[in-house]
Amino acid sequence: MKRLLTVAEMTLRELARRRGVIALLLLLPLAFYLIRRDQYIGQSIRSLFIGIGWAVSTAALFSTIGARSIEPRLRLAGYRAHDLYLGRLVGLWTLGVLLAAPFLLLVSLDTTGLRYGAISLAMLCCVVIAAPLGMLVGYLLPREMEGTLLLLTAVALQMIIDPATTIAKVTPFWSSREIGTYAVDNMGTDYLVRGSVHGIAATLVMLALVAVVSSARLRRRPHLRQV
Amino acid sequence: MNAEPWLALLAGELRRQGLADPQVATVVADVRAHLRDSAEDPYRAFGAPERYAAAVAESLRGPASHARPVGPVRLQADGITKRYGRRQVLRDVNLTVRAGQIAAVVGANGCGKSTLLNICAGLISPDAGTVTVHGTLSHSPQDGGTAPYLLPDEHFALVGAGKGLTRDRSRTAGRARAGELGWQDVGATLAGQLSGGTRQKLNLVMSTLTEPDVLLLDEPYQGFDRGAYVNLWQQLWRLRDDGKAIVVVTHMLNELDQVDIVLDLTEANS
Repeated sequence: MKRLLTVAEMTLRELARRRGVIALLLLLPLAFYLIRRDQYIGQSIRSLFIGIGWAVSTAALFSTIGARSIEPRLRLAGYRAHDLYLGRLVGLWTLGVLLAAPFLLLVSLDTTGLRYGAISLAMLCCVVIAAPLGMLVGYLLPREMEGTLLLLTAVALQMIIDPATTIAKVTPFWSSREIGTYAVDNMGTDYLVRGSVHGIAATLVMLALVAVVSSARLRRRPHLRQV
Repeated sequence: MNAEPWLALLAGELRRQGLADPQVATVVADVRAHLRDSAEDPYRAFGAPERYAAAVAESLRGPASHARPVGPVRLQADGITKRYGRRQVLRDVNLTVRAGQIAAVVGANGCGKSTLLNICAGLISPDAGTVTVHGTLSHSPQDGGTAPYLLPDEHFALVGAGKGLTRDRSRTAGRARAGELGWQDVGATLAGQLSGGTRQKLNLVMSTLTEPDVLLLDEPYQGFDRGAYVNLWQQLWRLRDDGKAIVVVTHMLNELDQVDIVLDLTEANS
């Protein structure tokens, strides 16, 4: 546990020092929220969720790519693969909650009559899913530019796709859209349940993929015998 | 002429070479007497102080340093073969390093030195061959290996936690190792803002912090000034005397007489 928490702390410290990046990451969800604010608040809030998802996944991408060269030596220094990816995840989840909190405050001050508990849950889904999503992209694509473009594509797809289609249900942030509809449009609890189930499933799938890819990258090669 | 500035430089270099203070005092007194009697320019009589100090230290160390007892096998690489596409990089390479030995891996650019070290560290797989390591292993890569937005002390804490060291103990050990490399001001500079040589020292400290049995160093002196380079080799010799097995990729052929094994990959692959 000490190893895991140390990695989480160092992940947070590293990201906290990239203040310019953090400020720019906050800009996108804010722009998403404000750009349609004068029209329909539901769309504005659902865009905000996507923006938070993008910000956290991009932070996760940068963090993961930045750690590519240090993780193998930490593995040799006694860390297990799960110490490294779970520690990074804990750090990123903490950062994500800190990033999302001001937006929750903004929405609660800027609107009335919404289900704010559900809005919090939708934001939490975005944060929880976005961190392993960004890590996964960071493991698979070695450069920040490619990874950022891929995440932008995923976000754009999420925004333009019809949420009622089957393919929309396999996009990572569909849960936040469903919970958002429940929160803003005063719909039945089936939206909330559907969204929550999707959020849990998406998180578990992302965690499993991160575990598999990270463990494969940091695996002990069969030619090396340590006695 | 005033030879004192030259003598002060000589004293510093002799200490850097690992001579004890009484030995330094004796050498400096002899040289001072010679210069006073001959009235010669010290640079004309003895040359640059660092070169003269190196020669004196070498003569004082004597041949005994080459005949030391060695321990059990720590690293054994057998039949390592590696291809990248059509290019054969390593062909049936063998290397055995015992406790208390330094092995230098040398060869032309692109002959597979780093590839061999990465295979020994288990970072990449060979097409054929095995590596057996008896004990713990540490690797200092040629590039990267540090986190640009963390402080040196945070690197020490991160590496130390892997072996269950407390944060204070990691920092104390890290700073002590840094001091041995002539890096005293381990302060509030992020790793990404350190000079190339200092970042390489950080890399090296991270590798030695957990007292591994086998140390793999890929050109650890990049960006070092001369003093740091001397300090590095002294630290490697100390680690060797402590029973560590060390493999170092190097271009600096002038130090090869100070190592126990030389593996020339240009020859091995030909």
